[in-house]
Amino acid sequence: MKASLQRTIWICRVTFLEAVRQRFFAFLLILGAAMVLSSVSFRVLDFGHGELKFIADFGFGGMFLFGSVLAVVMTAQLFFSEMDNRTALTLLAKPLSRTEFLLGKFFGTWAVLGVFVLILSILLGLVMWGREQELLAAAEQSGKIPAQFSAGGLLSFALLQWFRLGVVITIVLAVCAAARTFLFAVVMGAMAVVAGQLQWIAQDAVLKPTQHGLYSTFLWVTSRLIPNLQQFNIGDALVLESASVPSGAVAMAVGSGGFYMVAFLVLAALIFRRREI
Amino acid sequence: MSSAISVQNLTKDFRIGIRSLKLRAVDDLSLEIPRGQVYGLLGPNGCGKSTTLKIILGLVTATSGAISILGHPSATSEARRRTGFLPEAPYFHKFLSGRELVRYCAQLSGVDSGKVAEAVEAALSLAAMTEAADRPIGTYSKGMLQRIGFAQAIVHDPELVILDEPTAGVDPVGSAAIGRMIHAMRDKGKTVVLCSHLLGQVEQVCDRVAIMDRGKLVLEGKVDDVLARRDRHVMTIESLTPAAREAAEAALSAHGAKVTSITHPRRSLEDLFRELVTGSRDA
Repeated sequence: MKASLQRTIWICRVTFLEAVRQRFFAFLLILGAAMVLSSVSFRVLDFGHGELKFIADFGFGGMFLFGSVLAVVMTAQLFFSEMDNRTALTLLAKPLSRTEFLLGKFFGTWAVLGVFVLILSILLGLVMWGREQELLAAAEQSGKIPAQFSAGGLLSFALLQWFRLGVVITIVLAVCAAARTFLFAVVMGAMAVVAGQLQWIAQDAVLKPTQHGLYSTFLWVTSRLIPNLQQFNIGDALVLESASVPSGAVAMAVGSGGFYMVAFLVLAALIFRRREI
Repeated sequence: MSSAISVQNLTKDFRIGIRSLKLRAVDDLSLEIPRGQVYGLLGPNGCGKSTTLKIILGLVTATSGAISILGHPSATSEARRRTGFLPEAPYFHKFLSGRELVRYCAQLSGVDSGKVAEAVEAALSLAAMTEAADRPIGTYSKGMLQRIGFAQAIVHDPELVILDEPTAGVDPVGSAAIGRMIHAMRDKGKTVVLCSHLLGQVEQVCDRVAIMDRGKLVLEGKVDDVLARRDRHVMTIESLTPAAREAAEAALSAHGAKVTSITHPRRSLEDLFRELVTGSRDA
């Protein structure tokens, strides 16, 4: 057990090192950071919402968009670089199980996305805190109290985003385990993200009574197989109105994310076990 | 004592295309590779050598047949722990240094944490890579890549070392260095399986050879046995004058023997090359 854990940690460590050295990671991190930092400049487009809410939504959008692209493309790239360059041949000829290899890949990629989410969350926190101070100073004169920014809520949001990206990574790994090409894995991974974002439609529909048994079954299966990625998007409520978020909502979302990660990792391991290297 | 590798009636079919056409890569192959020898697996491209090696290592599943490594079913953790593998044209993470790569492979191969540093230095030393060990792998030449690949294959002191085309694309000096490493492994009592189509090198380093063609085994035996022509003899003579030649031919003819050809002995181009560039290394 200890040896297995050590092997997984070594694969994770090398995967992490390989990922953080990629220009693609640096490029998307810079783009995401630029989007978060520039949110203050775009606050005039707040469409009547509070400024802090607009800044938060803008930052969350950047984190979601670039984080999803990173999770899909980087996971597939890190997996297929091992296959196409045949480093997997060298590694899997050693007493390293395929499950350990996959787990190492998963934790390495998830750790990189953890760094990504953490950096953008810190930047977003700094931007929101700075603007909040300005708004509070202005409020003292006008007497109108603006929405308050919650650092703890931001931390919870970062955790949820990290778990959401973890679910995406495991879906892409399951696709990679069966896919023959990088392009196929990326396209299927991107489609899975879109399906996950729209899953609530199936979940809503399954709650409504219908005469069509087949349709109901399809909706029920769909709503169970595809994780609801929308459940992680309670960012503005957490950061600006943390008191309005039901207690246990974050834990529920983290638990659901953890369940889907385990389920997709098991699926990936079962598929990868039969793959010919 | 069991063989290093025992292959019984191994068959591998690949399914190709939408219509799932069957392509037989290995056809009812049976082999016994004895321990402590250098064994050459030869054959043209596409004859099934690499597929056989991949099945032995558990990277590809066999359609039928049974394989054991050092008495253990192949693809088990125990079998892999006692096996080292250098793939054809190896590629490693370029950002790692040679020493980091070998340490990484030592950890994955189950070397005790307290012995990793010692095992890494021993493997680097045997592969003559100690001096270049701290350079990033991205800066290595082809010969150095093969040598660091060799080091990662032997770092856990395996009883069986499998080398797939270890000298492909390597110059004669580097090739000779790899040959010396193979001999060093044999001297330590290890079994080395060498998959190659460089026949000259196989002839120099191998004790036994098997030749495959179209997935089938066509010849197997000791190198000396399969190469020797028992009905022909070679004599090397100094200062042969025409008169001495005539006398020798007459004497041999009197005993029913016949001289069929007389030529000057040649050294190989490889020997000449190594003689001229002796001492050079591609470090």
